[in-house]
Amino acid sequence: MKKFLNISLLSLVALSTLSLSSCKNEIDEIFDEDAVARLDKAKNEYIDILTSNGGKWQMEYYANGDEPGYVYLMTFRKDGSVTISGKNEWIGYVEGESLKVPTYGSLTSLWDVITDNGPVLSLNSYNKYFHVFASPEDIPSMSEEDIDETGYGHEGDYEFDLMKYSNDTLYITGKKYGIDMIMTRVDAGVDDEVYMNEVVAMADSFFNAKIPQVYINLPNGIRWIVKDGATSILKMFREGDDEISTSETHNVIITHDGLSFMNPLTIDGYTIQSFIRQADGSLLCRDDNETTITAGDLSDVILIPSFIWKCDTTQFGGVFKEQVQSLRTELNNYSKRKLSSIQVTFNSNLNVYTVDFACVSGKNTFHPTFYMTAEAVNDNQVKFSYTGEGDAASAIYADRCPSMLSIMETISRTTFTLSAGSLLAPVDMKLTDSSNASNYMLWRL
Amino acid sequence: MIMKKIQYYISALLLVAVAAMSLSSCSEDKLGPTIFPDVDETLDPSSYTYQLDKFLKQNYLDKYNLTFLYKMPDISTNMNYNLVPATYENSIDLAVLCKYLWFDVYDKVAGEDFLKLYGPRIILLVGSPAYNPTSGTEIVGLAEGGIKVSLFKVNELSRFINNPYMMNEYYFKTMHHEFAHILHQTKTYPNEFNTISIGHYDSNNWQDRSVGQVASLGFVTTYASSEFREDFAETIANYIVLNDDEWNYILDLASRGWTSGDEDDVTSEFFCYYYYPNNDVTKDPVYIYDFEVYTVTDEDGTVHKYWRYNTDPATGERIIVYDVEDKDGIDGVEAILQKVQIAREWLKTAWNVDLDELRQEVQRRQFTEDGRVAYDINDLRKQVTEIQ
Repeated sequence: MKKFLNISLLSLVALSTLSLSSCKNEIDEIFDEDAVARLDKAKNEYIDILTSNGGKWQMEYYANGDEPGYVYLMTFRKDGSVTISGKNEWIGYVEGESLKVPTYGSLTSLWDVITDNGPVLSLNSYNKYFHVFASPEDIPSMSEEDIDETGYGHEGDYEFDLMKYSNDTLYITGKKYGIDMIMTRVDAGVDDEVYMNEVVAMADSFFNAKIPQVYINLPNGIRWIVKDGATSILKMFREGDDEISTSETHNVIITHDGLSFMNPLTIDGYTIQSFIRQADGSLLCRDDNETTITAGDLSDVILIPSFIWKCDTTQFGGVFKEQVQSLRTELNNYSKRKLSSIQVTFNSNLNVYTVDFACVSGKNTFHPTFYMTAEAVNDNQVKFSYTGEGDAASAIYADRCPSMLSIMETISRTTFTLSAGSLLAPVDMKLTDSSNASNYMLWRL
Repeated sequence: MIMKKIQYYISALLLVAVAAMSLSSCSEDKLGPTIFPDVDETLDPSSYTYQLDKFLKQNYLDKYNLTFLYKMPDISTNMNYNLVPATYENSIDLAVLCKYLWFDVYDKVAGEDFLKLYGPRIILLVGSPAYNPTSGTEIVGLAEGGIKVSLFKVNELSRFINNPYMMNEYYFKTMHHEFAHILHQTKTYPNEFNTISIGHYDSNNWQDRSVGQVASLGFVTTYASSEFREDFAETIANYIVLNDDEWNYILDLASRGWTSGDEDDVTSEFFCYYYYPNNDVTKDPVYIYDFEVYTVTDEDGTVHKYWRYNTDPATGERIIVYDVEDKDGIDGVEAILQKVQIAREWLKTAWNVDLDELRQEVQRRQFTEDGRVAYDINDLRKQVTEIQ
């Protein structure tokens, strides 16, 4: 019995302790409402955000880290429908076109904001123009190596955690594969097809296959060389470093107003991600407002040895226009010859730049060619010097058509200021006389 | 002794009192009202999906307490698979077809309470297949816990909306199959079934077997040869949905002998006859492919039905056909019919469902007597599109 009493007393003490501690309410209320109510409230808030002001959004969509991003326009309606528009090669594929043809497509399907661990944007009925990235079907090969991706596909998401809303921008994360993306509000009056055409035109204006490389110009003067821009999977390496051993690839998306890397990228101490197209065609980093992407100094670009510049004589002005007109008259007088083209290129054997005047006579074309040297005066000025030499035909033509020599001599005594429609793709270069702006030429790559 | 008893009772009373205090001390933490918000289940007539939602509510939710999930939340699926939702248009079609070719059939044959009691509670539509890349297989349907049936490849429905063969293959055979699982998980079927083909199941390589080979072993499909529970569900499902020609084709395959081009290679194609053009004996195996029938008359006038093979029948060469000896020691036809009979009796005794009546009703709804499709999808769609 004594043993029982001891146990009873111990039990009493233990129970008393329990009873004292069981009601100790030390947890402060952090939220005014319970989790479910807050989640439901957040869901309704995001539905309102998505559908307000016409409900039109641009989604910068990435299926995975190895493919370019694609822009989609989405118009969300309160009735649960969403119209999704895009223009890319995968829509072309869905429609039976060649994989290389960006094709416009627009289709209405369903959406909802559902609650999971937080509010989730779910594009919950199949839209062939969008869900093609989530489909588990094999991806048709774009190269000789055909890997069977059946069961995997692109592995793109169609449900997105809604992370944050700020300044008409929704920050979202793919729910299954976790890629961060953004959605930005677009004016409701925008025509989807016009908008998407402008995005594709923007892409074409950025990276021209004729320009083999462009540069990321960091504020400290260091440049990174960028290649393969036209693929939207950029191959990058620091200027001066070994390309093979140091280059890295980053996928980007080209949007209506610029270009963005999929993830923030830190190079030489600078973190960059989003770039806005400037009036001069260059790209300016939105993150630091200093870093740019250009094709390099125009004086360097025009002197790239592999380039073949075709002079557009219809776009000549001042003395150059007059001299070309005189040349045409002289050629006509010379057995009715016609000026076919004027072409400037570098001859590595002779180490000179050559000016080739192509002249057509009947079925024959002659190429009297004159030689000149060139030097960059500064970033955007260049000077050529006629050497007084040329090929065998040049002497004959110089004698019969003295305007050829006049043109060479005018070029030779002129310092040209260079300008281009786009600093990122300067495929059309205007050469203006630095001392007289009415004298100019247009060269095209 | 009395004193000890008093001490005992005092101690016991104290214990009870303290225990009561400790239990009652938290009485202020009474459960309040539910934290979950009231869900307004009223359908919104302005919703884009109002007509389908109303159809589903009237014909599935209110009637069977069944949620027909066509807006696919990925948490409803196995996240290890890459899947996409179904199109809205195909969801409408499958909703009306499921009702006509499946739910209405059971209502008529088994009574309206049958599916209310035993039918699935969730049907989930998935637009894509669920591929298993490692095995090269795909899941065409899933039944989970007798509650939920998942149907895959819904986005392919529009390609064969008037082709009951393909719809059975992808959806309705799947539904009968999965429902058979639900039923036998509720009331077990006779163990005798499991003994018929014991020793001939192959859970690892069933997908590499041929239809003819497994039929000869007593299975209605290759999947049926994976294990006895799948065999049971496949037997019921195929018996219900296959028409007479298709069913007899299975039995025909089951009646033959089969051999392989390479008996050491389980994946090699099986064939059942050697062909000898112009009486020149060739040992080259002649492979057959399913469903392309070619008729050959034997020397003694016997007509054989075969399938397309790699000798061109257009050459007009006289072909003599020799049977391959059936060496597996199994009467495939007898085994299949025996399995059907067990299923038939079990459905009748355990569930009071007549398997043949079920089959007849399905067949009547699928095909007319002259073999045309018996339903008009446009008429069925009106159940949704004409809802006000």
